[in-house]
Amino acid sequence: MREWTFAQGFALLALNAQDSLHMTTAKKIAVRCMAAAAILEWELDQGNLQGPFSTISEEDVENLAAVPHQQEVLRELLKRKEGLQTALPERLKQVIHFSNRILKRIESSFADPLKGMDLLEEIPNLLGCDMNYVTASVTMREYRSNEEAYTRITEGLRAEILEDGEMTDETILMLWLLRESSCLYDFFSKEELKRVAQRMTQLYQTNAMARAILAIDIHRAPEIAVKNFLRGKKEAFSTPIGTGVDFVFPFLERSQSIFIETEAWFENKEQRLQDVEARLAQYGHHYTVLRQGAVPLIRIDNVLYEAVPTAVQMKVPVQGMRLRKYPL
Amino acid sequence: MSRQRSMEKIQTSTYVSIGELARLTGCRYSTLKFYTEEGMLPFEQPEENLTRRFPREKAVSRLKEIQRLKAQGLSIPEIKALL
Repeated sequence: MREWTFAQGFALLALNAQDSLHMTTAKKIAVRCMAAAAILEWELDQGNLQGPFSTISEEDVENLAAVPHQQEVLRELLKRKEGLQTALPERLKQVIHFSNRILKRIESSFADPLKGMDLLEEIPNLLGCDMNYVTASVTMREYRSNEEAYTRITEGLRAEILEDGEMTDETILMLWLLRESSCLYDFFSKEELKRVAQRMTQLYQTNAMARAILAIDIHRAPEIAVKNFLRGKKEAFSTPIGTGVDFVFPFLERSQSIFIETEAWFENKEQRLQDVEARLAQYGHHYTVLRQGAVPLIRIDNVLYEAVPTAVQMKVPVQGMRLRKYPL
Repeated sequence: MSRQRSMEKIQTSTYVSIGELARLTGCRYSTLKFYTEEGMLPFEQPEENLTRRFPREKAVSRLKEIQRLKAQGLSIPEIKALL
């Protein structure tokens, strides 16, 4: 496995489990922070993180062909007067104004090399198997980071943040990026977050670089609110009670309640299961049927689901199976 | 100001921090902390309030040994007794 750079390491954390085809709100936040990571990486490489200001020239951008994500972000800054010769906070704040089109280009500049390094892959999203998505021809795919790389990055980071002792510059910057992308909740428990807050206060008081970086914010409050609301909703519908409620009202959280229609009416349990298997195979999911019967238990992409026979009322009733997470 | 050491440097250094050990082995931080507190991983702490540092070669081979014994189905107290 090839070694990744600082910004690529953050991209592996930020892109994991994000929709790879559509620019969702959560992905916008992630890609903006990835652009900020590319700027910080460039400043780190220049040894200018704490300088009063730095200058970006056309030549700098041309020389960055080997680091496509830095080149893409700096090229974008070069088009903006504010990005040319400014202090770090103003430069970082430019990422807030990047449009969806620019964010898409930045995403590709990160994702394509990472895919080439076998650190990132695109996998089918189970929601794409849902009747509503299939009949609307909506393809759903998501990114998955290499598990080993992901663990090494997150565990190294957690250890350095939660343990006593000096933090490296990269860890301080990563901590700031996680805060700005609202990803801290993904890596630290509620108890650990108290310790993280303590460490941030400590850093703010003792480390000049941390004081400068932690004072900057590059997030849009409405987007963060939407992201946190959607995460909370998903968590609520993953509980045993939530799963039951979602089964009755699937529109509340579609990603946790997938309806696969059966080929014909009044099929028996074997035929129903065959239809579900055919759909899963068609969309490239890895699955194993663990329990046969009226309500089969299927492991799909390492997550357990029960397939419950049900019907939905369209213009005519449609019979099928609803996949719901199996409560462990 | 201190920069993070590259993996290449970590792989050749005599001592590593717990963060570097996690990056090097891919072991979870909580696992490493548990092994350290149980006295299963060798470490040095020259003075109080200084961070623990781990002799890289010894710590990595000890972790491999623990993982091998765990794969054989041994419990943590049994592994501790064997080490």
